[in-house]
Amino acid sequence: MMGLAPHMLSNLVVLALLVGLLGLSRWVRRRRIWLESAQAIWQRRRLAIVVIAAYLSIALLDSVAWVGGVPEGVADVLPNQSLSVLDRLFLDTREASYSAPFADFEWTGGEALRHPGSHVLGTDILGRDVLYLALKGARVALLIGGLTSLISIPLALLFGVTAGYFGGRFDDFVFFLISTLASMPGLLLLIALIMALGKGTFSVCLALGVTGWVGFCRLSRAETLKLRELDYVEAARALGVSEVRIIFRHVLPNLAHLIVITFVLTFSALVLSEAVLSWLGIGVDGSWGQMIDGARNELSRDPIIWWNIGAAGAALFGLILAVNSVGDAIRDVLDPRTARTSE
Amino acid sequence: MGAYVLRRLGYGVGVALGVLFLLFVLFFTVTAPDDIARKALGEKAPQVAVEQWKANHGYDRPLWPWQDWDDNLLFDHYTKMLTFDFGLSDADDAPIMDRIQAGMGPSLSLTVPLLFLGLIVAIPISLLVAFFRETYIDRMGVFICVLAMSVSTLLYIIGAQFLIGKILRWYPISGFDADPLLLPRFLALPIIVGLMSGIGGDVRFYRTVFLEESARDFVRTARAKGAGEARIMSHHVLRNALIPILTRVVLAIPFLFTGSILLEAFFGIPGLGSITVDAIRANDFSTLRTMVFIGSLLFVLGQLATDLSYGFVDPRVRFE
Amino acid sequence: MSGGHLEARRGRGAAVLAAVVCALVACSNDPYPPGDEGALVYYSSFVDPPRTLDPATAYSSRAHAVTGAVYDTLLKYHYLKRPLELIPGLVESLPEVVDLGEGRSLYRFRLREDLLFHDDPCFELGGEGRRTREIESADVAYQIARLADPEVGSPVIEPFSNVLGFMDFAEALAERRGADPEFAALRAHEQYAAIGGMAGVRTPDRYALEIELARPYPQIVYWFAMEFTTPVPWEAIEYYDGEEGRPRFADHPVGCGPFQLTVYDKQARWVLEKSENWYGVRHPEWRAPAAVYPSDGTDEQRALGLLDRAGEPLPLIDRVEVRREKESIPRFTKFLQGYYDGSGIAKESFDQVIQDGALSPDMVDKGVFLSRTIEPVVFYLGFNMDDEIVGSADGEKSRKLRQAMSLVIDGEEFLRIFTNGRGMAAQSPLPPAIYGYDADYENAYRRVDVERAKQLMVEAGYPGGLDPSTGEALRLVFSSYNTTTAGLLQYQWYTQAWRQLGIDVEIEATNYNQFQEKVRRGALQVFEFGWGADYPDPENFLFLFWSEMSRVRHGGPNETNFSNEEFDRLFVSMKTRPNGPERLAEIRRLIEIVEEEAVWIPIFHRETYALYHGWIGQSLDYGISIPTYQFRSVDPALRTEKRADWNAPITWPAWLLLFAFVAVVAPGIVTYWKERQ
Repeated sequence: MMGLAPHMLSNLVVLALLVGLLGLSRWVRRRRIWLESAQAIWQRRRLAIVVIAAYLSIALLDSVAWVGGVPEGVADVLPNQSLSVLDRLFLDTREASYSAPFADFEWTGGEALRHPGSHVLGTDILGRDVLYLALKGARVALLIGGLTSLISIPLALLFGVTAGYFGGRFDDFVFFLISTLASMPGLLLLIALIMALGKGTFSVCLALGVTGWVGFCRLSRAETLKLRELDYVEAARALGVSEVRIIFRHVLPNLAHLIVITFVLTFSALVLSEAVLSWLGIGVDGSWGQMIDGARNELSRDPIIWWNIGAAGAALFGLILAVNSVGDAIRDVLDPRTARTSE
Repeated sequence: MGAYVLRRLGYGVGVALGVLFLLFVLFFTVTAPDDIARKALGEKAPQVAVEQWKANHGYDRPLWPWQDWDDNLLFDHYTKMLTFDFGLSDADDAPIMDRIQAGMGPSLSLTVPLLFLGLIVAIPISLLVAFFRETYIDRMGVFICVLAMSVSTLLYIIGAQFLIGKILRWYPISGFDADPLLLPRFLALPIIVGLMSGIGGDVRFYRTVFLEESARDFVRTARAKGAGEARIMSHHVLRNALIPILTRVVLAIPFLFTGSILLEAFFGIPGLGSITVDAIRANDFSTLRTMVFIGSLLFVLGQLATDLSYGFVDPRVRFE
Repeated sequence: MSGGHLEARRGRGAAVLAAVVCALVACSNDPYPPGDEGALVYYSSFVDPPRTLDPATAYSSRAHAVTGAVYDTLLKYHYLKRPLELIPGLVESLPEVVDLGEGRSLYRFRLREDLLFHDDPCFELGGEGRRTREIESADVAYQIARLADPEVGSPVIEPFSNVLGFMDFAEALAERRGADPEFAALRAHEQYAAIGGMAGVRTPDRYALEIELARPYPQIVYWFAMEFTTPVPWEAIEYYDGEEGRPRFADHPVGCGPFQLTVYDKQARWVLEKSENWYGVRHPEWRAPAAVYPSDGTDEQRALGLLDRAGEPLPLIDRVEVRREKESIPRFTKFLQGYYDGSGIAKESFDQVIQDGALSPDMVDKGVFLSRTIEPVVFYLGFNMDDEIVGSADGEKSRKLRQAMSLVIDGEEFLRIFTNGRGMAAQSPLPPAIYGYDADYENAYRRVDVERAKQLMVEAGYPGGLDPSTGEALRLVFSSYNTTTAGLLQYQWYTQAWRQLGIDVEIEATNYNQFQEKVRRGALQVFEFGWGADYPDPENFLFLFWSEMSRVRHGGPNETNFSNEEFDRLFVSMKTRPNGPERLAEIRRLIEIVEEEAVWIPIFHRETYALYHGWIGQSLDYGISIPTYQFRSVDPALRTEKRADWNAPITWPAWLLLFAFVAVVAPGIVTYWKERQ
């Protein structure tokens, strides 16, 4: 992008994210409804939120990168390679091959390690520190969940809201599109799209996004249909307010809670489905799913090599559990239907 | 009513046509007829053999109808599918219909018991949990559900094979035998895994439905009149919750036939799911399009069935 | 709560309990039906079904696992002799070779008399009630004609094009079919006869076969040890056309080998049964070399027990049962449980099985024994010689780059990490067991010498890996078609090794189609590939460097598009020269040229470790995909005993689970009772 190195792009995105988060928190503080909801959710799921924050910070650590500052004689680093904060914490920790957590010697062959006792979760088949790989997977997972949602939710809103609001032919067309996509086996669609777009994080996110917007589209369409009949919306139309303004000022804000719920709930589904994609060979490099796939057969070794798959599985489980927990709480608080029944 | 049915039917046909088009475009964007030939003939095949294979299988014609409207692959694609002329597999020239018939049995023998067992296990549990709402059982139940849902199916499979098949030696790790005496043994592990990975989502969904129903006015009235909670749950709530539950079940029926890709692959079940995956891996276009077409037809029919049942139940819909 | 409900609940509870008990009691992990305990059966597994069993088109080891047992060939390889040696199979003796001058040669074969095909209903086409018939040389000629038939689409046209009139026959057939619809309606063998057959394939009498070559190709004899030249009955081709519920010929072989395919459910299971029609079973008095367990072997083989059944008539078992196993872990686990008689060793299970270079005590206790074979296969990294940076376009610069890259790849280390040390680090394209292999040969660029490599980088114009034109690390692309995570890990290992030179190699893993597409267009730089021998002659490996075989220019298997005048000249001479010191010298020089140019980085020759249970007799693998079922022996009583021993189910966790379940649910029930009160 205009001669911008990839790590600079990543740094800028991190900056934008932090600024955005700051702005969001200020905006939430000003609106009473959102503030109360946020507090209620915090009340219920303190631990889960802290866990998510931890994953987020690790991902951020891995996103801020720059070139240079590497001491002389460090292996595996190319002349102008950019390294993130996380990379630098684990610089030059490679061994030759497997080693158990805290071990001093290699797993097979018994040779002395270069950094005995320093690998908290052992090393993998190429000698890379497993803790480092597991931490790096956080960024990948958050990217998959976040970027994909960033693609699928606006897409769903675009089609769903306009279909629900304007109705008629357009509605028929959107409904047709949804049905067609829904009746194709998702896996097939994914595989074909990824093969066409080429491998890489962005292609996988794009493919997942394009195949995953159907559910939320249906939901937003149904909600928009209801909203359209509301009194003040009808009044606005009667007054001659432009449709676009109505959509942006009256319809979309009322969908906000649904957007939040959908985002959080589909996040975990996306990360889990990436694991299956890794098994098929079309996942994202460096993801936990890939670690699991690469290590799953090691379980039958004797003695068992468990730290590789254990670390990736635990990291995956931790994030998904936390997100599902918080998602449940968010839905209980924000969704008007269930909010009533939990009295 | 008749017009409603016809409209829905026509709609379904439209969807099936759309699916066929999408499949055609997607497949041929990433694969060329040459690739199909090479997969079928083997890596060492010379170009001459490839050309011959294409000629033998009709792939030496253009993809799109620009030059010759009735002698191209797209036209063939549509005419064959719409006349249900499924033909032979590209990978090994075996009749596709035979393979589908052979694969349906194994797939259904896994998915149907799984569906029923899922219902039998999940509904009582969610009834129980909804009954004891806000007590420790409810919270425990929901927590276990979220826990169960957060584990990747891959990990369930790996864990189950390791623990139950290898260490405890209760059931064979994988394999399949159509002999009815031996079949349960082979289905035990995949069904266990299927149940474990599905139960979390199912219980949560049913619990939500039950909770919604039990908060309805007429239920409150019944409670005020002094009816026992258990009777309320089993009579009023369950009956009314049957509609969304049945909808979910009916919508799942088409997928019974398409099989579970992960389970079939790891447990060596020769069903339709593994046929689909094998077809994708082997670039077997004729098998793949047949599977997709049948799958989408079933899906459309399932949608139609649900719509029609709504039409019967809810008079408002009929008069649209 | 009404009484009816309570009863309903009780009823349901009882049903659940009954189901649980049933499930517990029916516990067993035996995947086979009861009743086979005493039979001479060999149990095995397969991963994917073969695409086809038609001997004219089947060209994969998967297919050969079946076709090799079901179809017999004119010549066979001696079971025990290494390097591989041909012996007569269906023929009475090795062919007579006559030099006709001007590069033409004649091979005379004589089939044995009174050979029968397997019993099969297809022979009714030749007469009411017929279940089989005698094999004639015309059946071999028929199969060779099928190889040329464009509608059959055989992949081995290239070697057979050396037969006189082979391509003419193919063209004439296609032309006549296109021009004359009546002709096209005839049966295949009638068509072949109508255009006069193939000039170079003649059958002077019922059992004699003459093959005339238009060009020198002494390796043609090896093709007569492969199923491509097995006798095929025309009745089978006509009968098994897939109509009216009959299977296709590709799924229903009709052969003459020691076994017959009696069950073939491609997706799940197939069964081979001893054929009563095989000449080894019908005429044991012939003592035919390929129907009797050999008595000549090395002392080493004798010590291993490979000659224990010497002189006995083959096959030594009655049946082979093969089940489908898609994933490697379940496959290996079933082997350990005794449900498969033989198995490879999955990489992950290696430590369990092999410790300190020998079988682990666990395995020895179980009575398992190990069989090691180095296959005539070579895995290598290739450079595309047409590429601007790594190819011969840049002359000496790129040669030094290639040599440098070769000097940092440690073949032994690769084997240690990825194959548990199984295999032999390759020094040249030729694997052991191929004529011309020199165990003492050392490739100067297959040692690890990082200093020298860095020096070469400087000489190549890339000091420290920096590309002077961009000012950054030299960027290369590594193309592969293995998209699995396991493959990715290997590629990452390579790229990490090359990082020591400061070059940045990007991994581009696509699916097989896209990879082949890149290969055909020549759009590669560095790639990974493998090659396995069809037959034990060095021509089968060295022709991969012949410019006439260039992938881009001629569509041949020379994936690197290597082109060198001296090499070409020597190769053409070596190709047809009979074995001897001159040939060895030429082979040596050819290998040296390949080494100097660093066209390949040969990595390793694969070694298979095969495990067999103690109730199976010792066996030796050929290395090229030829099945050896007829040489296997079984002790069924021992097998039944061991299986029962190793597979008693452990039931106490089930009771524990039940107890835990009750413990969790009980408080809930108590709460409910209290509320009722």
